[in-house]
Amino acid sequence: MTAFIDLYTESGTFLHRMDPRVKIVAVATLSLLALIMSHLVYLLVLTAVMVVLILLGRASFQKTMLAFSYVFRVMALIVVLWPIFNPGGTPVLFELGPIRITEPGIMAGIATAVRIFCLAASWYLLMFTTSQRDLVCGLVKMGLRFDFGLSLAMALRFLPTFSAIVESIKDAQRARGMELDKGNLRKRARDYVAVLVPTIITALKMADMLSLALQSRAYGARSDRTYVRELKMLAGDYVALSIAVAVFAIPATAKYIFSIPL
Amino acid sequence: MIPRVPPSANQDKIISVHGVKFVYNGGVQALAGIDIDIRRGDYLAIVGGNGSGKTTLAKNMNGLLRPTNGSVTINGVSTSEQTVAELAKVIGYAFQNPDHQLFCSSVVEEVRFGPLNLGYPEAEVAKKTEMSIEAMGLSSVKDQPPFSLTLGERRRVSIASVMAMDPQVFILDEPTTGLDARETDDLMEGVDRLNLDGRTVVLITHDMKLVAKHAKRVVVMSEGRIVLDSDPRGVFTDLELLLRSKLIPPPVAQLAHRLSSLGVPRDVISPEELVFHLMSGRGALE
Repeated sequence: MTAFIDLYTESGTFLHRMDPRVKIVAVATLSLLALIMSHLVYLLVLTAVMVVLILLGRASFQKTMLAFSYVFRVMALIVVLWPIFNPGGTPVLFELGPIRITEPGIMAGIATAVRIFCLAASWYLLMFTTSQRDLVCGLVKMGLRFDFGLSLAMALRFLPTFSAIVESIKDAQRARGMELDKGNLRKRARDYVAVLVPTIITALKMADMLSLALQSRAYGARSDRTYVRELKMLAGDYVALSIAVAVFAIPATAKYIFSIPL
Repeated sequence: MIPRVPPSANQDKIISVHGVKFVYNGGVQALAGIDIDIRRGDYLAIVGGNGSGKTTLAKNMNGLLRPTNGSVTINGVSTSEQTVAELAKVIGYAFQNPDHQLFCSSVVEEVRFGPLNLGYPEAEVAKKTEMSIEAMGLSSVKDQPPFSLTLGERRRVSIASVMAMDPQVFILDEPTTGLDARETDDLMEGVDRLNLDGRTVVLITHDMKLVAKHAKRVVVMSEGRIVLDSDPRGVFTDLELLLRSKLIPPPVAQLAHRLSSLGVPRDVISPEELVFHLMSGRGALE
C-alpha cells in the first residue's frame, strides 16, 4: 500500500544463490577498487562490469531506476560542482571572476561521479540479491555478535515500515490542511511537531510490542544458540571469492607495489 | 427501516472520477481505470479486499495522490489545480489509524488544529470545535490528552478533528477496525447524523455488516477496478461476486440465500426484514 519498496528482488540467479559472506567481501573489494582507481577509462570498465552484473541478477528495471534516481542526482551535482571548487591544472576553458573552469577539473568531476556510481552499484548488487535475513546471517557468521546482528536485522526490517508510517502521518496532517514548509518559523515548528509527536509515539508502541514478541519467542534464553539455517560455502562460492579478492588484489598490487598509475 | 429512501434528492455531482489509473513509484498499479460519480448527500461505502485499491482511490479524491491517468474533479474543478490544503476544505479525510494524526495535549486543541490551518477566524474555530466535540460525544473528555483515551474515543477525536474543518465530504478509512460493538455503534451513530445533515459520507471498509446497516450505495472494488456499484440490496443478491472480491457477506444475507426456497427474496439486508418475510409466508410480499 505504500510507495516504498524493499530493494531485495526474489530470484534464483547465481548472484542470489551465492553465499552472503562472499557477496559482502565482494562489495568491500569492489568498493575499494573503485576508490583506488582514478582514471576515467578504468572506472568506466568497472561501471560496465557492474551493469552486466546487475543485468545478470535480473534486477527489475523500475526498481533499479527508483534506487538510482537519487544516485543520478548526486552524480549530476558532482559533475557540476567539482570543476567549480577544484579548478586545478590547465588548460583553462572558462574564467569569470573567481570562477575558473579547467579541463582536468571537469574530467575529475566526471571520474568522481562515475566512482560514486560504482560504489552505489556494488552496494545495490548486494542489497537486491541478498535477503535481509541472509545478509545478517552472513555478518553474524563473519563474527558479528548475534545481538548486534539482530538489531541490524530489525533496523533494516523496520526502516521501510517506518518510512511508510512517517509518510502516512504526513498525509494525515496534510489532509487536515497542514502545509509543511510554508508560513513563518513558529508555524513551521508547530507543523513539525504535528509529524514528530505521532511518529515518536508510534515508534515507542512498536518497540514495546517488538520486545514482547521477542520475549515470547524466548529471545536470550540461552547464550549458545543454534541456527535454523547454516551457511555452507560451495565450490562456486570459493571461485567467486577468489575472483572478488583477485579483482582488487591485482590492481592494488599494480598500483602500490609497481607504482602503475590507475 | 424496510422501505428505503432513494439515495438522495439532490443529484448534483460533488466528486467525479473519470478514467483514473494510478501506478505507485516502483510500478505497482493500484487503480486500473476507475469511473465513478459521487453525488451530494450520498452515503457511499467502498468495499473490497486488502489491496483492492480502496484507499488509493480515496487518496486520489483528496489530492494526497494524483492520478497517473484520467482526472478527478471536485465541484467541477480538477484536483490537479488544487493543493491538498485547498481540497481539505471540501474533502475531509480521517485516516485509519488515529494515532497517525493525534499530537496535541488536549482533545480541544487537537480538534482546533484543522480549522486553524484553514484560516477560519477564532470565533468560528471555537464554534466548530465545540460542535464537533459535541457531535462525536467527546464533551466529557475534551480537556484530556488524546493519547490517554481508548481506541474508540481516539477514532472519534480524529473524526471530530475532520468535522471541525466543516467539509462537504467525509472520507472515513476503516473507521471501525479494532472497535467493539458498542464503540462501533457510538461512532456510526455520529456518522449517520452527518449524512442526515446533508454531508456526503464515503466509508472505506470490508465489514459488510456495517455496509448493510448504514450505507445507501455500495461500490465493490477488486484488483483496482470497480466490479459493482449499486444499492446495498443489489450487492447482497450476488454473493459469488462478494466472495470473489474477498468479502464475507453478512450472515443475514447468507441466511436469506439459503432460505430462498421458502420464498425469501435474495436481497434481504437486515434481520428485521428476514423476520418480516418469514412471518408473512412464502413470497407474500412480492
